[in-house]
Amino acid sequence: MFVLLRQLHSTRKSARVTRPARRLSLAVRHVDAGSCNACEHELGATANLFYDLSCHGITITASPRHADVLLITGAITRRMVTPLLSAYRAMPEPRLVAALGNCAMGLGVLGDDRDLAGPLEQLLPVDIRIPGCPPTPDQIIQALVSSNLAGQAITSA
Amino acid sequence: MGLMTSRPRVTPPNMVPRTPASEAGTASSPRPSTTLVQITASSWREAHAAAIHSGGRFAGLYAVGPDDTTGNNPANRDRTGTTIRSVFAFGDQVKVLSARAVPTQAVEMRRAGTSVAGTSGIGRTLPSIVDILPAAAWDEREAHDLYEVDFPGHVPMRPLISHSDDLGSWTVPVVGAGTHQVAVGPIHAGVIESGHFRFHVVGERVLHLDLRLFYNHRGLERAAVGAPLDTGLAIIQRACGACAVSNTLAFTQACEEVLGLWPDAALSTQRTILVELERLYNHLNDIGAMCAGIGFAPGTMAFAALKERAQRLIGRLAGHRFMFGTVHIAKGAFSPTRGETREARLELLSIKEQSARSWREVLFNTSVQNRVTAVGILDHASAERFGAVGPAARASGIPLDTRSHSPRLDYGELQPPSPVDPTGDVAARMAVRAAELETTLALLDALLARDLHDAAAGAITEGSPIGVGVVESPRGATTCIVESDGTTIQRLHLRTASYANWPAVAHATAGNLLPDFPLVNKSFELCYACSDR
Repeated sequence: MFVLLRQLHSTRKSARVTRPARRLSLAVRHVDAGSCNACEHELGATANLFYDLSCHGITITASPRHADVLLITGAITRRMVTPLLSAYRAMPEPRLVAALGNCAMGLGVLGDDRDLAGPLEQLLPVDIRIPGCPPTPDQIIQALVSSNLAGQAITSA
Repeated sequence: MGLMTSRPRVTPPNMVPRTPASEAGTASSPRPSTTLVQITASSWREAHAAAIHSGGRFAGLYAVGPDDTTGNNPANRDRTGTTIRSVFAFGDQVKVLSARAVPTQAVEMRRAGTSVAGTSGIGRTLPSIVDILPAAAWDEREAHDLYEVDFPGHVPMRPLISHSDDLGSWTVPVVGAGTHQVAVGPIHAGVIESGHFRFHVVGERVLHLDLRLFYNHRGLERAAVGAPLDTGLAIIQRACGACAVSNTLAFTQACEEVLGLWPDAALSTQRTILVELERLYNHLNDIGAMCAGIGFAPGTMAFAALKERAQRLIGRLAGHRFMFGTVHIAKGAFSPTRGETREARLELLSIKEQSARSWREVLFNTSVQNRVTAVGILDHASAERFGAVGPAARASGIPLDTRSHSPRLDYGELQPPSPVDPTGDVAARMAVRAAELETTLALLDALLARDLHDAAAGAITEGSPIGVGVVESPRGATTCIVESDGTTIQRLHLRTASYANWPAVAHATAGNLLPDFPLVNKSFELCYACSDR
């Protein structure tokens, strides 16, 4: 295991992650509402030691009850509408909704209308938009950090 | 570190993985590969038994005809056009069995009074083959849900893609003292795709697992009907991010068969590099995910960092971290410069050294090996029965790798590494991936040294109304079927390795502890998106 720890140490050094001067807190709950899994891979990658999401004070939380942000990926499928709305309703206020990736933003969605529920905007109030197919880990972190610093989380829905 | 409780399970990979066929200027000799065999409903089962007997490997079953959602339109209620096709691979040759489903009313009449439940006279019927070919169970359920085809003999016919509120319709009744159900999902605690698992447990022991996936069903295949081939490519790419190259490549190969085209040496080399790069970052990801499944953080972080390095390299080389937009019909879109390939080979060498070192730390760590050994066993017979593919099948002793017979790709005489100790547990699936990483890295090093420019596909035949592409994705054999007149798509069907392996995950989970499910699940690391489509 020491070999691994040494390797991680040197990789981390080479990654040159800059620690932010201001650090706030933001708990994020992710919901895949019909994604192709690329957004999930990039969101997962934000936790690796090249990006280190947690050093910005942002955590991915297991339950929507502990979340400030509902981060939604994918074209919204009909089958995911009920679980998605349940997760939103379980969140404490004030709460934010983030659309991660072009599909969630309703851009270039592919699929059949009979299986898709339409744009996320029509289901929930979207506060943060992170375009990309998929957005890179850097872009995801940047969007979450800037929305956090802009104080969007203060207002109640 | 610590005492060695397990020995390396996998033979060293063949370090000279290929003969340089394309260097000599001759790509694999082109030949048509798909044969469509029309049979009658009455010889359907017999034909399947014969195909299995003669060594065919089942690669999917699908319906062609009006689907259920057009039911409101009276014009679509006549199902005279519903046909079922079943795909078998014999090495690099593909045989498609095709039979018209018989109107249900006719069957009912022949049965002299025995009515088929739930039929309204508009359904179609074909005898089920699940008793002789259990691997076709999901395929039949899908055809039943989406195309209203009845398969007498498939009892009970549980919904697969249709989501019913009636729990009894899709779960197996498990009763007895102390049994109860644990429902998980569709939203999970981590950053995971959506899917619902219903565990039947006693205490912490899982007796049975019922899966309910298809929350991400976007109707991609239906959206492709009537669309031009290039739109089909965009749709298939959207099916799954982590298998984007494999899926689009299978689609492209099917299209090229429809158009009567064959890739030249440079094109097949380009594509082989792309699909191996996909395997590289996926296998690194999957080994890291298994470490996460047992809470071995140093392993998780080390392999996550290696995956990131691989994806950064891919981003520089292919312009996209998931290689979106790099696979096209009949042309290449991946031509890095000499300098870029040189830099890539150096980086791959460094990734190879670090991943080998990290893997040794995982392999010889006693506590890790204790946690992964004899957990989530998929025995050889079950893997055969469920038609498992890919690393999961190989870890259970099925030496099946589409790469050894992919004439449209540049694998030469590749001998994939074969596990010495195919115990079918999490440890074996982990070890198979580690060995395949070495092969993939060696392949990439050899292929990136080649000339990748001026890639194209040339005409060899007049084309065919049906094309079938089979590609070894990081998760196993993925099949894509395209039925087309050469310009628009009449039917598109994608049967990915994940779709083939999901039933095996449920089987391998039974008998294990409920908290071990994430580990068992990660050891297969299947996609929901490309199953759900």
